[in-house]
Amino acid sequence: MRAARLGLGALGIAAIVWGGWLLRDDGIDRLSSTALWLAGVVVLHDAVLAPLVVLLGVVATKVLSQRHRAVVAVAFVVWGTVTLAVANVLSGVGGKPGMDSLLHRPYLSAWLALTGLVLGVAVVAAMMKGRHRPTDA
Amino acid sequence: MKDIVAAIDERIPRPNDFTSPARGPRTAARTGLMLGSCVGICFLTGLWSHFQYASPGWLPIGPDPAWLYRVTQGLHVATGVAAIPLVLVKLWSVYPRLFRRPRKRGIRAVVVGGLERASVALLVSAVLFQLVTGAINIVQWYPWSFSFRATHEAVAFVAVGALLTHLAVKLPLVRIALRSPVEDRLSRESDGPSRRAVLLSAGSASALAVLLTAGQTVPFLRRVSVFGVRDGDGPQDLPVNRTARAAGAIDGATDPGFALELRHGGRVMRLTRAQLTELPQRTHRLPIACVEGWSRNATWTGVAVADLLELVGADPASVVRVRSMQTRGAFASSELPADFASDPRTLLALELNGETLDLDYGYPCRIIAPNRPGVLQTKWVTSLEVAT
Repeated sequence: MRAARLGLGALGIAAIVWGGWLLRDDGIDRLSSTALWLAGVVVLHDAVLAPLVVLLGVVATKVLSQRHRAVVAVAFVVWGTVTLAVANVLSGVGGKPGMDSLLHRPYLSAWLALTGLVLGVAVVAAMMKGRHRPTDA
Repeated sequence: MKDIVAAIDERIPRPNDFTSPARGPRTAARTGLMLGSCVGICFLTGLWSHFQYASPGWLPIGPDPAWLYRVTQGLHVATGVAAIPLVLVKLWSVYPRLFRRPRKRGIRAVVVGGLERASVALLVSAVLFQLVTGAINIVQWYPWSFSFRATHEAVAFVAVGALLTHLAVKLPLVRIALRSPVEDRLSRESDGPSRRAVLLSAGSASALAVLLTAGQTVPFLRRVSVFGVRDGDGPQDLPVNRTARAAGAIDGATDPGFALELRHGGRVMRLTRAQLTELPQRTHRLPIACVEGWSRNATWTGVAVADLLELVGADPASVVRVRSMQTRGAFASSELPADFASDPRTLLALELNGETLDLDYGYPCRIIAPNRPGVLQTKWVTSLEVAT
């Protein structure tokens, strides 16, 4: 195990160094842009997205009955993470004029349908859970 | 001053303030396993794509199988999409650790603790960077000053390196977490989601995200993939990645005096499009596979490049430099390695799906070869030159 860990660590550090080496010819403009994005994504997650999820969790514990919390949490995880996975097409950025075969689907309608579907499944699941465990609340 | 620091410290949450038992090593190790698999495939297929762009001498990549790049690059984008829900749940499961305070005092503890935090920060940063820039790149938005291709490759090594280092540090904990049952009394009795529910949600969300986007690569998912960047349609049943207008190729392509130049040493031959259509025509069904992950099969008709090489007395197994009349954008020329030039399926295509090539697909003629990244399938070809 010790050898495996040392091997993994050495390989990992070598890969990090190689990645850095590949950027050696980038000028200050490119490097600062790379650094900005590297830092930006962490700040966006750790200081915006994650606290927002914590806040929603706190609100959920206050407004939802105990037996519905798990169902709502599962629905939220699926809906939220899939939404972020397709945020690139939902955001409206990208594409080029005259490029009719790129980004040409009704993404907002699709997202509303997805939202409705997840909501519907969650409501049905919550109702079924209520039926099976009527005294749980 | 000490009082102020203490007051601030008091307001920042501590790991114990996060009460959900679904967070923690048992969830983190299992989502980590799923995420690590996606990152691994994504990294290897990404590396493969760089090899396909410029095949290294020790790894000659040939035209067979014709669908190879279609599969590897489709997998690259699909595993990247699959990783997004997984990384979010993984980070959720370990988020309380961000608020740990150093247990021991002293310089050594601070340095060791700091190094560990820095390595985790590097891992999170590099993985998120890859997923975010990749997702933005496939919608063709480039809001940065770095070169996407070069930086995405460099940071991929950093991400995988940081992942391996992280695994080396956490291996004992990972083994314990994976050997322990998913649930314990605490998580079973919790009124929030169980660990199993969180893991199932992460896996389902990941699979759903792939299902809803992979239709740009997988034909039978085309109707299901409502969030696909492309649905495979276009003027001649094929998507367009760069229009003739964007490439500044309209004037050259519509010039009635157009003649393809074939050059082999001092020997030069010019062929008009009409003359090209009089040469023996071949028809092959070959995919266009783009680095952005979309791909589609199409029926191409034209003259085999090998036949054109014979016209100027060149060995069909020659390296051929292909030049485009495009005046804007990258990849205005490409190099066909000998294996590709001699393959009878490598065409200077004149027709697509039974119709004359559309201007946006490379009219008057374009290269189509098996197992090549889309940008190397040069459009609006103006000359083929045998490299000496």
